[in-house]
Amino acid sequence: MLLEVTGLHVRYGRTHAVKAVDLHVAEGEIVTVLGANGAGKTSLLRALHGAVKPAGGSIRFAGDDLTAQSSAERVTRGMMLVPEGRQIFVSMSVHENLLMGAYLRRDGDWARDLKSVYDRFPNLAERRDMPASVLSGGEQQMLAIGRALVSRPRLVMLDEPSLGLSPLFVNNLFNLIKELNRDGISILLVEQNTAMALEVASRGYVLELGSLVLEGGADALAGNAALAEAYLGDHAAKPEPDAA
Amino acid sequence: MLFLQQVSNGIMLGSVYVTVAVAFTLTIGVLNFLNFTIPTLFMLAGMLAWALSTWGVPTWGVPFVHIGPMPWQAALLFAVAATVVASLLVERFTFRFLKTRYGDATEHAIPLVSSLGFLLIIENLVRIGYGTDTQRFPGPQADMSVNIGGIFLRVPQLVSLVIVLGIVAGLNWILRHSRIGRGLRAIAENPDAANILGVQANKLVPVVFMLTGLLCGLAGVLFAINYGEVSPQMGDDIGSKAIAGMVLGGLGSIWGAVIGGLIIGLTEMLTIHFFGADTVQVAVWGLLLLTLFLRPQGLFGHHSIGKGKL
Ligand SMILES: Nc1ncnc2c1ncn2[C@@H]1O[C@H](COP(=O)(O)OP(=O)(O)OP(=O)(O)O)[C@@H](O)[C@H]1O
Ligand SMILES: [Mg+2]
Repeated sequence: MLLEVTGLHVRYGRTHAVKAVDLHVAEGEIVTVLGANGAGKTSLLRALHGAVKPAGGSIRFAGDDLTAQSSAERVTRGMMLVPEGRQIFVSMSVHENLLMGAYLRRDGDWARDLKSVYDRFPNLAERRDMPASVLSGGEQQMLAIGRALVSRPRLVMLDEPSLGLSPLFVNNLFNLIKELNRDGISILLVEQNTAMALEVASRGYVLELGSLVLEGGADALAGNAALAEAYLGDHAAKPEPDAA
Repeated sequence: MLFLQQVSNGIMLGSVYVTVAVAFTLTIGVLNFLNFTIPTLFMLAGMLAWALSTWGVPTWGVPFVHIGPMPWQAALLFAVAATVVASLLVERFTFRFLKTRYGDATEHAIPLVSSLGFLLIIENLVRIGYGTDTQRFPGPQADMSVNIGGIFLRVPQLVSLVIVLGIVAGLNWILRHSRIGRGLRAIAENPDAANILGVQANKLVPVVFMLTGLLCGLAGVLFAINYGEVSPQMGDDIGSKAIAGMVLGGLGSIWGAVIGGLIIGLTEMLTIHFFGADTVQVAVWGLLLLTLFLRPQGLFGHHSIGKGKL
C-alpha cells in the first residue's frame, strides 16, 4: 500500500476537524475525498503532508511511518501536496516557481523533469520569465501542479484544484489528472465537484464534519442519491467562472 | 571644494548606514521581524575590535582564557566573527524557542520584545566590561589618504565603501539566483507554501541571522576604522538612522536600503555643511516623513512586505 492512514485526528484548539479517519491509496490509484465546506478535507490533506500536526493516528507512506516527520521528509520520499488556492509565489517568476518544486532535489535529473513540465504545459514555457502573478487562474493551477511535478512525486494530493476555474479549464484539469495517473503517479483528490471527481477516481470517501461517513467504488458512490442530497449540496453542478 | 568634501564624507557615513540598513531590511523582508539587536551587534563589533586590539577581553579571572591584545587587523577579524556568533545566539533565544512550528501562534511582539531584551543585556554587559567612555581605536588613521583634486579621501574609507557595495551586491545575487535565496524569498512570501514544498525554515532562519551578524560586524569595524573611535552608545544613533534609511528606501528592498542609507548619510553631512549640526535630526527625520507622505511604501518598497507570517 502506498499510503495508509489509520485513526487520524486533527484538532485546532477546541475544533475537532478530522476524527478517526482511516484511508488508503494503492500504488497507481486515483482516490477522491468528497465533502461539503468545512468537512475537514483540507485539514486531512495538510495533516497527511505534515503541514499540520495530527492529534492522533498514524500515516504510513510506502511502508514507512511518517506521522511525526516534516513535510520536507515527505517531499523527499515522494509525497506532494497541491494546496487549496494554489499558493503559487506571486513575487517570483514562473520559472522560479517551478524551481521551488525542485528545492529538495539532490539528484541530477530534476532538469529533465522541469523540461517535461514545460513540454506538458507550453503556456508556462511561453511565460517562463514573467511574474507568476500575470497568469490566469487556469494557468496558475497548471503552475501549481507543474511545481508539484518537478519534485518527481509518487503521490500527488490535490486540494480542490477545480475551484474557481471555467468549465473548459475544469475539463482540461480532469484530463490532466488522468494523464498523470497513466504516467504512474498516484492521486489523492479532494473535490467538491463530485460528478467529475467520481468520473476520474476509482474509489472515493465522503467526509462529514470530520468523520468518514461513506466509502466505496466510484460508480457506487456516483449512483448514491443520498450522497448528493445529504452531504455535498449542489455546488458540484455550478463551477464558478475562471477567476482570470 | 568643501562642499564636495562633505559629499564624500556623506557617502562614507552613508555606507555605514547602508550596511546596518541592509541587515534590518533583510530580517524584515524574510522574517517580517524588526530585529532590535542589530544596533547592539554593530556596537559589539566596534567595541570588540577596540578591546581586542588594546587590552583584550575581560574574563573575570577565569584562568587560561585571557584573550588579546592583538594587532588591529586580527582584532577586526575576531570582532566580526564574534558578532556573527552573537547573532546566532540571538536567533536561538529570540526566534527559535518562541516560534511555534505548527499552526500560526507566532506573535510578532514576542521576538520583538525579546530582541529588545537582548539589546539591553548586551549593551549593559559591554558597559560592565569596558565602561561607558568613548575609546580611541588604534587602527590605520587619517594619515593614509589620497588627495583627488583637493578632496581628501581616506584609504580605509574607500576600501570600506568598496567592501560594502561588494557585500551588498553579493547578498543581492544570493537572494535572486541561488537556491537558498529562493528558499528565503519563498519563506518571506508564503511560509506555509514554502514548507509544503520542503523548505525548512529552521535551517534557513539561522542563515538570515548569520548574514545579519556579518553585516553588523562589518559595519561596526568599518565605523571603528573610519572614525577612529568607539563607545557602548555608538549603536543608538546609527541604528535609528539605518532604520530611517531602510524605511526611506522601502522595507524589504536591498537596493532600497542602499539608496536610503546613502541619502541619509548625504543629508546629514550637507545639513551640517549648510545649516550646522543642530539641524541634522530635523532634516533627516523631516525628509523621512515627507517621503512617507508622498510614497508610503518607500522609494523601492512593495506593498506586500509584512504580510507573510512565519
Ligand atoms: N487553522 C485553523 N484554525 C482553526 N480552525 C480551523 C483551521 N483550519 C480549519 N479550521 C476549522 O476546521 C474545520 C475543517 O476545515 P477544513 O478547512 O479542513 O474544511 P474543508 O473541508 O477543507 O472546507 P472547504 O471546502 O471550505 O475548503 C472547519 O470547522 C474550520 O473552521
Ligand atoms: Mg478546504
